[in-house]
Amino acid sequence: MPARVATSPRSSVLGRIIRSDNVSGWALVSPGVVLIGIFGLLPVLMSLQLSFQKSDLLTPETPWVGLENYRKLADDPVFVEAIKHTIIYTALFVPGTMLVGLLVAAAMNRSLRFMSVYRTAAYITMAVSTISQGIIFLWLTDRDYGLVNAGLRAVGIPSQSFLASPSQALFVIVAMTIWGWTGFSVIVYLAALQGVPAELHEAAAIDGASAFTRFRTITVPLLGPANLFLLVWLTINALQLFDEVYATTRGGPLRATTVIVYYLWDRAFVHFDAGYAAAMAYALFVVILVITAIQFRLARKHVHSS
Amino acid sequence: MIRRRLCIALVAVLAFVVAACGGGGSSSSGPTEIAVWHGYQDTEGEVFKGLIDQYNKEHPDVKVSELYSSNDLVLQKVLTAVRGGSAPDVAYMFGSWSPNIAQIPQVVDMSGEVSKPDWKWDDFYPAERQAATVGDKIVGVPALVDNLAIVYNKKLFADAGVAPPTPNWTWDDFRAAAAKLTDPSKGQYGWLIPADASEDTVWHYIPMLWEAGGDILSPDNEHAVFNSEAGVKALTTLQQMAVTDKSLYLDTTNENGPKLMNSGKVAMLVTGPWDLSQLSDIEYGVQVMPTFAGSGGTNQTISGPDNWVTFNNGDKKKQAAIDFVKWLSAPEQVKAFSSGTGDLPTRISVGQDQALVDKMNEDLPGTKTFVENLSNVKKVRPTVEQYPAISEALGQAIVSVMLGKDQPADALNSAAKAADEALAGK
Repeated sequence: MPARVATSPRSSVLGRIIRSDNVSGWALVSPGVVLIGIFGLLPVLMSLQLSFQKSDLLTPETPWVGLENYRKLADDPVFVEAIKHTIIYTALFVPGTMLVGLLVAAAMNRSLRFMSVYRTAAYITMAVSTISQGIIFLWLTDRDYGLVNAGLRAVGIPSQSFLASPSQALFVIVAMTIWGWTGFSVIVYLAALQGVPAELHEAAAIDGASAFTRFRTITVPLLGPANLFLLVWLTINALQLFDEVYATTRGGPLRATTVIVYYLWDRAFVHFDAGYAAAMAYALFVVILVITAIQFRLARKHVHSS
Repeated sequence: MIRRRLCIALVAVLAFVVAACGGGGSSSSGPTEIAVWHGYQDTEGEVFKGLIDQYNKEHPDVKVSELYSSNDLVLQKVLTAVRGGSAPDVAYMFGSWSPNIAQIPQVVDMSGEVSKPDWKWDDFYPAERQAATVGDKIVGVPALVDNLAIVYNKKLFADAGVAPPTPNWTWDDFRAAAAKLTDPSKGQYGWLIPADASEDTVWHYIPMLWEAGGDILSPDNEHAVFNSEAGVKALTTLQQMAVTDKSLYLDTTNENGPKLMNSGKVAMLVTGPWDLSQLSDIEYGVQVMPTFAGSGGTNQTISGPDNWVTFNNGDKKKQAAIDFVKWLSAPEQVKAFSSGTGDLPTRISVGQDQALVDKMNEDLPGTKTFVENLSNVKKVRPTVEQYPAISEALGQAIVSVMLGKDQPADALNSAAKAADEALAGK
């Protein structure tokens, strides 16, 4: 609709502004912008401010301490341990979830009777809340009374402490979260696999390529965007692991499963050191930003975009 | 054009709705409304609501409303509400938070109030009063009191041919019994301890430390002294049971205690009266805590009193809140609440009411021992702001020893170092 010259005698600058396309556009998105601004952006900025202050959440005085909170991070052995645990967790969880998801998706990418039942079954873990997941795994892996150990004993392997053991707990959480997230990667991979044109496979088959060669040279390159998406998404989630730890080990035993977000929650809401926790959150934010940037850069070189 | 105007109008309406959501006025006329946040559910919840209804009926000028809020999370919620300028008027708070609560400016210091004779402040158990006191402030009024004692499965004791615990039991007797009651082939353990390194772990150790003659901090609260000979002795007992005898189930997730006890997998718990109602499938007995040989047999225990904390939301509401708390913690209401719920009476005079205690013991066997055990509470945990840090260090030390990763003296020494650093404000 072309801008028409106002015919009203009350025509004014204000009137023109109100009627311009820009303004009505902004007006339409403003509820969203305002909500995101208040509940998204503002807390992010306030948390940045908090990271330069000493705050116990109790008293109104929050003196500025400059970079003190960030300096403290470097000297905190528990924080260093938490970084270590987070890295180990991410390094196992992300490829694990992608691999299991790809295998399950490949197995399901065909027409079989009851396929929708299998697909639902694969995705259903995503519908289980992380807290119930944690409690189920606590029961399953209990040292004396759990189903998993009953199975191990039946085949002659002694009982394992699992979540109660400082050396095993983190790996049990890896296994548990891979189980929980597989449904997600299955859906993404299944969609990607179904986007692979059948003609390419046919043509290659006619040229004599084996099924494995076809999978390697046709399917895998075409999965690039799905890989990139899962890599970034799962990494960000892995670095922010919290629920599953809270529901199972509370960071223990002996801090063996204390990951960054759990530790920062513990500092802020158990030990009332909110400024320090905010600094930790910002350190993590920068790390996630850098890792994601690296992943995108690598992907630009290697991902075959369609 | 019309369509565009419509859009703008729509947006304006939306914006108005959003703005209106933030509002919420308060009327100046009518009864004074006060909000009470509590963590009572089930029977406790019903009895508590009954008391509030009674109060509202008897006091038409005040309207008390109650809001359930999980006890574990109430401090976070209250902090958020205080920051947002919408603090509750009264909230149930754990006694271990008192030093932190004392720093919230909106918290009402009750010291001037409770010194009035009609409060009968001395009628509260000393441990309760101490847990509500931080320096010269009194941050709350006792809402709940409990203590730890041995709860044991009578059948498992009989089956293993072990005599039930007596008040004369030493920790050596306890250890020997636990070893006899342990049977790996049945997945049965003599004792279970929460081993998540939280305060729940720590407060099982502290009465042992006290009974052995030690203490947590020096009398001036300046530095840690739990790494004393007594501290090592107490922790060595735990080490022997967990590592040498393997008679101690380490509940690292702190989820299993009452469940395993109730299913006959654990012969003894050291726990409080709150677990008794969950032990419906077994016949249990309750006995006071063991002593250490040579400690004089004082059977010391620990109490974790919780408080009703009042917040200042203007003079009128503040006074209404204080009046309500005063009524709620008066002997008649304490008696009614204990009688209805089985919770230990928070007042000495009510605890001495034999008819009440007998009735409670009939409803929930063992309650009587817990009421009597309140007189074995000789000490309280230090009410210092750094207590969470001290508890954290001590908790890690205790669990590392029980998991066989560290020796008692070494673990306590490094925990004491961390505690001293926290106390020095580093």
